Amino acid sequence: MRNYIVLPAYCEEKVIKKVIESIKKEGYNNIIVVDDGSSDNTYKEAKLTGVIVLKHPINRGKGAATQTGIDAAKLLNADIIVTMDSDGQHNPKDIKKLIQPILDGKADVVIGSRMLNTKGMPKSRIVMNKIANIVTYIFFGILVSDSQSGFRAYNKKAYTSVYTYMDRYEFESEMLGQIKNAKLKIKEVPIKVIYTDYSKNKYKHMSRFSAQGLTNGVKMVIRLIENSLFK
Amino acid sequence: MVIQIVVTIGVVLFILPNILSSYKQKNLTAFGALLWLFFWLVGLVVIWFPELIGLIGELMGVERSIDALVYLSIVYLLYVSLRQKIRINEISKEITMLSRKIALPQKDNSYRISKIREGKNF
Repeated sequence: MRNYIVLPAYCEEKVIKKVIESIKKEGYNNIIVVDDGSSDNTYKEAKLTGVIVLKHPINRGKGAATQTGIDAAKLLNADIIVTMDSDGQHNPKDIKKLIQPILDGKADVVIGSRMLNTKGMPKSRIVMNKIANIVTYIFFGILVSDSQSGFRAYNKKAYTSVYTYMDRYEFESEMLGQIKNAKLKIKEVPIKVIYTDYSKNKYKHMSRFSAQGLTNGVKMVIRLIENSLFK
Repeated sequence: MVIQIVVTIGVVLFILPNILSSYKQKNLTAFGALLWLFFWLVGLVVIWFPELIGLIGELMGVERSIDALVYLSIVYLLYVSLRQKIRINEISKEITMLSRKIALPQKDNSYRISKIREGKNF
């Protein structure tokens, strides 16, 4: 069984090596890192671990990097593709929980949901996620508990049925719309978010500037509207 | 009268040569150059004979003829904005596809697979 872990990474030189090693520790050695045009040493750091590292020449966004990683895994004839964040927030121990429903034939796509267990999650983040869920439902007609989770597993049927064109964070919603249209079986499993100093700083930054989080949310909605008009 | 002369000199000395040089440098198509020439020539005619605007107003059924121009301008600006938005969207998608092509090795699939395994871009 060829399981590939796809890690879209942008300026994660401080943690990328550690994240890769922690995934390897769980027994997953097929890892594809897509450096999304980082201005730091993310590419070099990832290369040191001996995994597959691809590089976008310029920054195109998490959605674009994830799709590039999925394309690479597709070429390598993956059985299951798992996408994860590369900042160390996702626990590699949860990969098994994501893959299991696919192995059992209970799902084509499994979403690791942070919203099924919100303990320790900043309130502003919970509110933003709920708004994003509603927006996703309005635009794509699919309601899940964590529409913006980047921790997902796809079987072959799923990853060959979806292809995202949205470059930035809204691609998670676009993907859900395609999952719905392709009538794929979807399942959500609870995951825990690891709050390292590194990720805590990210959250601090977000909660301190909640207006910025709101701005990003509004931008996402605008891009979803534009996409529905111009695609 | 003074403003009409100033605008005419401005158009003749700066704008028309600019359109022609843009066409010569292939920054404008022949159709585009003609369209801009037409636009500015019509503008000059309207500046010298403002009563012509009244005709447009009558045609559009607008009381004040200048309103007709404002409406037409808004429609035109919206159209231009939409065209540009569509084009930017297309270019953005093309840039992403290009980035992906650079990130993923080309040639045939077996070559690409071996190169991906090596973790090389090409």
